[in-house]
Amino acid sequence: MEPFLRERFGNASEPHWAGREARAGLTDARRRAAGALGCRARDIVFTGGGSEADNIAVLGRCGAAQGRVVSSPIEHPAVGRALAALAERGLEVVLAPVDAEGVLDLEALADLVRPGDRACFVIWANNVTGVVQPVSAIAELCAERGVPLHLDAVQAVAGVDVDLAALPGEVTIAVAAHKLGGPKGAGLLAGPGIGSLCPCLHGGGQERGLRPGTEDVAGAAACATVVERAQTAEAHRSLLRELRDQYESTLGERVEGVRFASAGAERLPGHSLTLLDGLRGDTLVALLDREGFAVAAGSACSSGASDPSHVLQAMGVDRERALGALRISLGDLSEPAHVPALVDAVERAVVPLRAAAAAL
Amino acid sequence: MTDFTLAGCIQAPDGDGAAGGSACGDRVRITLRVVGEQIVGARFGALACPAATAAAAWCATRAQGRPFLAAARLSVSDCLRDLELEAARADCALIALDALHAALGDALSRVALASAPERVVVAMSGGVDSAVALARTHASGADAVGLTMRLWIDPAAPDASRACCSPDAVRRARDLCHSLGLPHITLDGREAFRAAVVDPFVSAYAAGETPNPCTRCNGSYRLDAMVGAADALGAPVLATGHYARRVRRGDVALVARAADPAKDQSYMLARVRPAVIERLRFPLAADTKDAVRAEASSQGFAAAGVRESQDVCFLGGGDLRGFLVRHGFDDEAGDIVDETGAVLGHHAGAAAFTPGQRRGLGVAAAAPLYVLRTEPARGVVVVGGSERLQRGQVDLRETVLHLPLRRVEAKLRARSPAVGATIEPLTGPGRLRLLLDEPVSAIAPGQTAALYDADGAVVGSGIIDAG
Repeated sequence: MEPFLRERFGNASEPHWAGREARAGLTDARRRAAGALGCRARDIVFTGGGSEADNIAVLGRCGAAQGRVVSSPIEHPAVGRALAALAERGLEVVLAPVDAEGVLDLEALADLVRPGDRACFVIWANNVTGVVQPVSAIAELCAERGVPLHLDAVQAVAGVDVDLAALPGEVTIAVAAHKLGGPKGAGLLAGPGIGSLCPCLHGGGQERGLRPGTEDVAGAAACATVVERAQTAEAHRSLLRELRDQYESTLGERVEGVRFASAGAERLPGHSLTLLDGLRGDTLVALLDREGFAVAAGSACSSGASDPSHVLQAMGVDRERALGALRISLGDLSEPAHVPALVDAVERAVVPLRAAAAAL
Repeated sequence: MTDFTLAGCIQAPDGDGAAGGSACGDRVRITLRVVGEQIVGARFGALACPAATAAAAWCATRAQGRPFLAAARLSVSDCLRDLELEAARADCALIALDALHAALGDALSRVALASAPERVVVAMSGGVDSAVALARTHASGADAVGLTMRLWIDPAAPDASRACCSPDAVRRARDLCHSLGLPHITLDGREAFRAAVVDPFVSAYAAGETPNPCTRCNGSYRLDAMVGAADALGAPVLATGHYARRVRRGDVALVARAADPAKDQSYMLARVRPAVIERLRFPLAADTKDAVRAEASSQGFAAAGVRESQDVCFLGGGDLRGFLVRHGFDDEAGDIVDETGAVLGHHAGAAAFTPGQRRGLGVAAAAPLYVLRTEPARGVVVVGGSERLQRGQVDLRETVLHLPLRRVEAKLRARSPAVGATIEPLTGPGRLRLLLDEPVSAIAPGQTAALYDADGAVVGSGIIDAG
């Protein structure tokens, strides 16, 4: 990444020597990302991040807000809100249900996806529960009906093998570099479905006309590097899975009233969504923050009202329990010693919060 | 700064306050143990966002081990500053502070602070008059403590925030105290107020009378409760923002007309007992409303911009009839009749009519017709010409005379001038007759008659009887 911010600072679209140097870097990045993800180099479009990649896919399939699309109730807002905005302008958006584990109901999906639909949008691995969807089956049923499929793979690339060559049909995926340890503001859209997307941004025609503007060579190079690394880190994934399982089993033994969302489904290896009775997850997060742990809640007090996660709501988790969600993501910076420390910290923090709730 | 180990609740606490639960769903509870002047124990309960939970823990931490009045000084801005919360989190902190102040108010009945001769409790409604009363008391060097009573909540009212002592009004009063570094106490008088003022108000209408809830509230509930609070706080006197004077006739303390006749509120205080008047102070006695409003504006008080309430405080912006129906008075439609009993029209419910009323009858007649009286038991409204409203005498019940006078000036409703009258005894406890110097129109049974001496002091009062 760094050379493209310093000595090789050319514009990759210019024919002169400096441009050629930058262009070589971009080509190399595209080739490496394609290799890691199992697609052709021309089917990589570098973007300014995951949300942008999702929006280019959504608008590229149904920007005219006509026709019908199928999606899920557990999408990241980059897809969910983009579809909702188009639905207000006339797009018909049909949501296939998920089960209590947060896994898409494939039978329902097969009934809902119909030939002629503009597209199907599914989050490959969920950002709240970590649940990995059965994307091979989903891609197959979409391909059988001739319906393009966009997968939000922002979470998935870190934890599962992504092989676009194995997915039939007009598939696209969205990837964000920062989820893999790369810089914020870099991402990509990839897959053979790219060729049939309509441009929603207009300019100099860079990145197959889908993401015009002078290319961010440094970002692309970094994005390719972290995607390659993530896709060859099976040993690291095993370690994360082990640490996650250790966290869940010790916490489950030490603290009453705890369960782990989607524990029966395939999940991202370093991901756990802990549901704690009798407290508010966002408040627990604040106490853990005081102890140095950067963890998340399954909800946020955004507009003056505490809204439980839409993902948990779709799974049928009741409101009170959904508000007690604590989301743990283990990653590059996680060490084995962090897990017992985290369990201790959760155990300590839960005591006053539950006492406070019980005092009402 | 915040001790989360104070999570929990004190069993059989001296003070117990809860807040929240409406807008965002967050809830906070504070329980207190008070010994003497000290809060020796404080615990917090919360199921709330991080900011409100931290604020609840802060309230318990800052209250425990502190004097009662020091805790009553704790403000939203103190909390935001200590916890380094952004201003956008003020509403979260407010839930915790509301709970703390509710707990302090609840504890008041179990607190007895040592007598402090310089202490003045200032009765605050959240309005401009009491804001200026507080500021002047503070400026005089007295040890001022703000006191606001929560009297009523009627969520079904069209504009609940306009009802007396709404949460906004309480917070306005509290904020003003805190901005001056003064303690503030909120007394929850809602249940007692219903029993003492609202229920009698509804039953008076049901009996065909036109009650005056304000004189009743001041005379038999609110000021007694606040003087009781002043006792608990060790304060010899209670200052209010009324436009009235306190005078002495021999040993008796009486309320007298204010300097500004346009704003005089002595009538509203006519039923207050001399023993209570003895404790009252009126810092606005010599002022005009305009001067008070200008003073509040110049000091930047939020209350300066608050619209003045003219209605009965608990109606909450709604109409009387809707209120009576909401509060269990089952009024029925019936006839509008003349004095011979001839049916002239129909009404939807007799209770909301008052003598002298002309509007809303819907009866066409050659000469204008006025309500003479209502008889809810029979479901009729009796109407007649204006000459039939004139009366030269009026009987009073529940009378109190502080001085043995025979000649008085009688004020028979809030917005009409007093007329000269001679008192004539009647048999029966608390009963007397006023022989009016000139006939008065539209005298309404149930209203308060305030009896003044020649120098404007209220020397007695009674309730106008249907006679």
